[in-house]
Amino acid sequence: MTPFRRRGTELVGRLEAAEVGILGLLVDELEQLLADDETTGDPVVERLLPPGHASDSRIAADYRDLTESALREGKADDIALVRAGLPVDGGEVRLDEDQARAWLRTTNDLRLALGTRLGVSADRELPEDPADQQVAVYHWLTAVQGSLVDAIAAAGRRRRW
Amino acid sequence: MAPARTPDTTVHEQHDLDRPWVTVVWDDPVNLMNYVTFVLQELFGYDEPTATTLMLQVHHEGKAVVSSGPREKMEHDTSRLHAYGLWASYQKDA
Repeated sequence: MTPFRRRGTELVGRLEAAEVGILGLLVDELEQLLADDETTGDPVVERLLPPGHASDSRIAADYRDLTESALREGKADDIALVRAGLPVDGGEVRLDEDQARAWLRTTNDLRLALGTRLGVSADRELPEDPADQQVAVYHWLTAVQGSLVDAIAAAGRRRRW
Repeated sequence: MAPARTPDTTVHEQHDLDRPWVTVVWDDPVNLMNYVTFVLQELFGYDEPTATTLMLQVHHEGKAVVSSGPREKMEHDTSRLHAYGLWASYQKDA
């Protein structure tokens, strides 16, 4: 992965073919998880679609009725945009403003999903096992998302998109 | 048994209705600090120092109020934060 940099009106980075393959698999899994209505109680779905109220279950239920389907659709739209911008054989990734936001949100959702599966919490940091592939993928997603945030923030300091 | 109603409680209830709602962002071990700062700038139009201060408050104190107003607006703000994966909820101002 070559970190994203701003070039003109775009953010440009580079992914290897193997990285494209991994990202493709991850967004497929995320898409299936979000398309399934029968996932209540799955800790990943609970994290991606959290309660709107911390303690009042009636308000939280109202909030879910009002917002959940739109949130699921928005995440599915983001995933479709990310998938459309993947160079199948590896290579340059060029993102306009909308695509960059979709990449930010989706890579964040993937990190939330993986972090939840790995049991990352306020009291428990990521297991430091370099042989664990999930941990390696988590760190890689962090690098991708981190470079996107840095590139957008650098652009924002000059002028807003 | 219901408590006896007094003028005092009536005044208190009126005050309760007037209290605004707030949107709270909670600390999360996964979300990157610079990402949280970016999202607060993006969604609420905060300048970078203000967004950074709020992000650091979330990080150090566990939560921060990022917006306040009518309940419907706070529902909307919470859903916009959820779209970006931040851990957020809304409640009546304490």
